[in-house]
Amino acid sequence: MIVPLTAFLVVAAILFAIGFYAVIAQRSAVMMLMGIEVLLNAVGLNIIAFWRFTAPADYSAQIFAILIVTIGAVEMAVGLALMMLLYRQRKSVQIDSFTELQR
Amino acid sequence: MMPAVLQIIAFVVFAFIAIAGALGMATTMSMFRSGIFLMASFLGVAGLFILLSADLLGLLQIMMYIGGMLVMILFMVLFMHDPGGAMMAGMDMAPIERWFSLGLVPRAAKHEEREHPAHAAQEDHAARHEQHGAGSDKGEDEGKRAEMQMGGMDMSDMSMVTPVRPLAAWLAVAVGLVLVGMLVLRPAWRVVGGVPDPDSARRIGHLLMEKYMVAFEGAGVLILIGIFGAVLLARPSHYPDDPSRAARVAVDKPPEPIADDRLTPLRREGNP
Repeated sequence: MIVPLTAFLVVAAILFAIGFYAVIAQRSAVMMLMGIEVLLNAVGLNIIAFWRFTAPADYSAQIFAILIVTIGAVEMAVGLALMMLLYRQRKSVQIDSFTELQR
Repeated sequence: MMPAVLQIIAFVVFAFIAIAGALGMATTMSMFRSGIFLMASFLGVAGLFILLSADLLGLLQIMMYIGGMLVMILFMVLFMHDPGGAMMAGMDMAPIERWFSLGLVPRAAKHEEREHPAHAAQEDHAARHEQHGAGSDKGEDEGKRAEMQMGGMDMSDMSMVTPVRPLAAWLAVAVGLVLVGMLVLRPAWRVVGGVPDPDSARRIGHLLMEKYMVAFEGAGVLILIGIFGAVLLARPSHYPDDPSRAARVAVDKPPEPIADDRLTPLRREGNP
């Protein structure tokens, strides 16, 4: 590979920072879930880049990436179902209106 | 093996798509656009996966994230107050947010423009609208759709981002700088020169069925339970013989009537 490992890791780091911003700054739950997806993407990119450059003979990294995608799908489905339920009760999907869930 | 120039070009293009898509997702005011930008970001990351010769994961990325999750997300965007961003388009925005929200027409400006076209053109966002007139047709449609969906909802507090947005932006920039700095300043990792098996899907399948079988089956059970939970949470729950439940769980009400509905209403059995 001509492109060095660090280039891929830097792309993943930038994606991570953007996802971090989206999770904190966005107000609606859907946008927060989108931010979490970007974070998971960054993690997967990191794993695959390390696999390709440091251990290309061991395919375990791809298994981990597949598991990350799977967990992300489940988290998304449950999160969206929770949001639908909360929307029916509160007529709102803004995170601010669910603050009593903290307790 | 690809020639070096081609590799670098592919890396730059896919990295740009991934990062610009994520940035657009985080900063645009329209949630629908956010979903589309997110799709671009997923496509970019899938391209990077394929460039890293993880073909199976690239395809999985496209099928799972774009085919599955993005459809879910765009479906949920329908529940939002302001999916087209028409309410937010005129509010205070950072330059990058303004750039990614080009062509979104603020609602108030649109009304004024319709009534007094000459007067409204002097306004700032209206001028912006004129300037980017080519791209604004879609925004106008989105605005109209949002307007129809808004109906008689509560218009207070429409902001899509939290008040801590500047703080969050600085925090994110700090996180990004620290991570990138650590990566750049660190001595290089020990890189192995090997080339992975081109038939990697077979190897992954064998691993999945031998070494990582417990994890694989566990993920299957997790998906099953997750789908059970999601269906249980999201289905309309109306149990007439359980009065205590009605207080805790919302009962489905008939939907609100649509303004200027041209269709004749359906008649139900026994309820003419």
